[in-house]
Amino acid sequence: MQQGGGSETEVTWEDQQNINKFGRLNNRFHELEDEIKIAKETNDNLEDASNELILTDEEVVRFQIGEVFAHVPKDEVENRIEQMKEVTSQKLEKHEEEKESVLAQMSELKKILYAKFNDSINLEED
Amino acid sequence: MASSSSTSGSGSAVTERRGIPGAQFVEDVQTYLTQSGLDVGSALAFLQERLQQYKVVEMKLLAQQRDLQAKIPDIEKCLDVVATLNAKKGTGEELIADFEVSEGIYSRARIEETDSVCLWLGANVMLEYSLEEATGLLQKNLDNARASLEVLIADLQFLRDQVTITQVTIARVYNWDVHQRRIQQALATTSQD
Repeated sequence: MQQGGGSETEVTWEDQQNINKFGRLNNRFHELEDEIKIAKETNDNLEDASNELILTDEEVVRFQIGEVFAHVPKDEVENRIEQMKEVTSQKLEKHEEEKESVLAQMSELKKILYAKFNDSINLEED
Repeated sequence: MASSSSTSGSGSAVTERRGIPGAQFVEDVQTYLTQSGLDVGSALAFLQERLQQYKVVEMKLLAQQRDLQAKIPDIEKCLDVVATLNAKKGTGEELIADFEVSEGIYSRARIEETDSVCLWLGANVMLEYSLEEATGLLQKNLDNARASLEVLIADLQFLRDQVTITQVTIARVYNWDVHQRRIQQALATTSQD
């Protein structure tokens, strides 16, 4: 937090709560960015896997379940991968939505806090 | 608590949560310094120390959070395996799986239809469970892990709020001091004229 030039703007409990909320949203924003990155990677891997599956002509595929690779018929593997892609896409969508909401709330709070504190507060990414 | 001021809403801070002391919100710097009987230097030192303590606790909680976040996918994988074994049960087929014998070395196993599975409980203990019991136990562990993670995340949020409050208080005490010095200086120069 930037130290102001000795100005006497009073900080009320409500201001403090707004600052706290901004901090929490900012943290959540970074967590969401990481989670979105991971979800995108997983999605890409699943895409690659299902592409490989189309190309292969083996009937039985070694599909990883837990720590082992089980011999599973190709059709079942296709279904499983489709399911996993569904789950990951939904998760990705949910995270993106939450990220939008968090960004919107953050810019609202920025407006309020900059209005009151002007230069005495710094809410940008360092 | 900001005891002397009677404005509403200020006393709503929680004093502590699961061993983490709450940061006292300061309504007015002057009142705070008079009440605590500290001069600016000591007040700043006290607040800085509090900040350090919070950082230590934050490190600990973050480590716990990382552990839990690693444990949860592991339990989900185990549930997956038990579910697969369960699915195979009715069919009379065996499950053929390639598993790791050692790093880089894999071998093939033939798992016949079975009603039970062994679960590693930790501390060199492994117990045999029926498939239903195993699913129940793993699910319970998963639910507990998720619940613990939620509590942990709430603790971290509370902690971060206290850190923010302390940082803002440090800035305000410092600014108040600078302001006071300026006033003193202005008084000193005018009285010299």
